[in-house]
Amino acid sequence: MNPLDWWLLLAILLFCIGAFGVLSRRNIIVVVMSLELMLNAVNIALVATANFRGGSPGAGTLFSLFIIVLAAAEVTVGLAIVLANYRNRRTVQTDTFDDLKG
Amino acid sequence: MPGGDFHPWLFVIVAAWVLVCALGVVAFKKIMYSAVSMVFCFLGVAFAYALLYAPLVAVVQLLVYVGAISIVIIFAIMLTEVQDGGYELFFNRQTLAAAIVALVGAAVLAIVALSADIGEVSEKALTPGLRPLAALLFDRYVFPFELVSLVLVAAMVGAIVLARRQEERR
Repeated sequence: MNPLDWWLLLAILLFCIGAFGVLSRRNIIVVVMSLELMLNAVNIALVATANFRGGSPGAGTLFSLFIIVLAAAEVTVGLAIVLANYRNRRTVQTDTFDDLKG
Repeated sequence: MPGGDFHPWLFVIVAAWVLVCALGVVAFKKIMYSAVSMVFCFLGVAFAYALLYAPLVAVVQLLVYVGAISIVIIFAIMLTEVQDGGYELFFNRQTLAAAIVALVGAAVLAIVALSADIGEVSEKALTPGLRPLAALLFDRYVFPFELVSLVLVAAMVGAIVLARRQEERR
């Protein structure tokens, strides 16, 4: 196994821990935190691949920077929605958000 | 291009740190413990970038994730309720299925990543200097760069509109 494989394994494990959190937790803020873990995992994979593959590592670095910025935008809007919802329902549990259920 | 060797021991320390903190985020019952664990996980990821010879990404990670996103999430926690009780209040009914999906997904991704032919891989990490990065950012990728600022403004306005208390109608 070369170094890139080890970094990819780390990214895969982090991604799947985050996916487990998104799928299994009830509190929506923990879901948002797990989502951030998944984005971090993708970033690790991107930077590792860019820096070990040779070629032009600059593009991989820039893409990871764009992902970080978009994650920041996502988390602000997401938590604003969570707070707006909390004002109406007084809860942050995901299984109470079932208005669209037939 | 500068760069450097792969340090197995440092990698093991950083990987263990990141994964243990990530498990803490998912497993802690107290949501504030989850948040602190998440901050330490982001810190570990910043070290991972430093080990990957990507200093700019490490610094941005510290600024944006450890500095900004953590604060926003902790504010959201403080503005919402805190719950007490057993684990059945914190994990939903599909937890077992979620665990299986995560484990199978990890196995499939690992098999694919380790067996895929992605061309020549060097033993040393290369790192783009700041100067080529700046040239790339402000020349080839200048349009996405400007577009990101538009996205940030839209997100900021959207967050304010959503989180603001509706004024009473008279």
